[in-house]
Amino acid sequence: MLEIALILLLITSVAAIQTRYLRHAVIYLGLFSLAIAFVYLLYHAPDVAIAEAVIGSTIATILYLVALQKYKIFTIYYRLQDEEIGDSTYLSHSKQDLIKVLEKFCTKQELEAQIIYSKETIEAIKANHQYALIIEEIKGVVRITVHPENYKLDALTAFLENERRFKHAYAILPVEEDLL
Amino acid sequence: MNDHSQLNARTLPIVFPMILIFGFYVIVNGHVSPGGGFQGGAILASVFIAKYLGNPIKTLNLYKVQNIEKVLLLFLFVLMTGFVTLSIHMILHGSLIFYIILANILIGLKVACGFTIIFYRFVFYESR
Repeated sequence: MLEIALILLLITSVAAIQTRYLRHAVIYLGLFSLAIAFVYLLYHAPDVAIAEAVIGSTIATILYLVALQKYKIFTIYYRLQDEEIGDSTYLSHSKQDLIKVLEKFCTKQELEAQIIYSKETIEAIKANHQYALIIEEIKGVVRITVHPENYKLDALTAFLENERRFKHAYAILPVEEDLL
Repeated sequence: MNDHSQLNARTLPIVFPMILIFGFYVIVNGHVSPGGGFQGGAILASVFIAKYLGNPIKTLNLYKVQNIEKVLLLFLFVLMTGFVTLSIHMILHGSLIFYIILANILIGLKVACGFTIIFYRFVFYESR
């Protein structure tokens, strides 16, 4: 019985490291906690087993899931210039390419893209809204403003370089974090 | 978890009393069976955490919970120093069991408050 539990420990821990999805890793960690609680029980330490089962398998799992949920929504502001509003060319295919590429990126990273078209200035968006990216197009160059705490920046840069369909000229502007 | 399902919202309130009873059982029987103040307190805290899954409450005054935790810690401190210096167990009919159960209950409630504060602090404030 003990050997089975120990082998289960090995399997779940390796699976938690090797899986591609964070959500699966959290579930594997919960399984790991249950298995190690069982091992503690077999080693005649029921007190530790109860603590491990309650904390590792319930509270830590829910905390991780809430943390994943907090980072799930990826808010993209598409800032429209004044001349873009009148002729509605921003809905044409050339500019929708960027949106499609970003949505593909979000699906790949298990995020939920939320795209908001806005005509506020960048400073107003920065001050008043929660955002991950702000996109604007000035004279054919796409300028992407990135939130300082955006932890997906490296992945986004690598993805945009590898994407063949995306041929726009673009510039990524990371925002300096305010040191209050 | 903001779009909580009806299934969770309806079934979790049925389970709450059982988890509460189990938590108090673990606390009160800590001196004869496995478990004790810490484990029972963690079980009690999981009630509040499960409550968030079923029906997210947006307003919980964390400072109140923190004050309750401080008062419990004060009582615990008084109890333990009283045990060491004044030998309270002699006053309580010369038996250790009352002292142990009382200390376990105080520890359990304090741990429950602590875990609840940790969880709700995380949920309310630590966002992007």
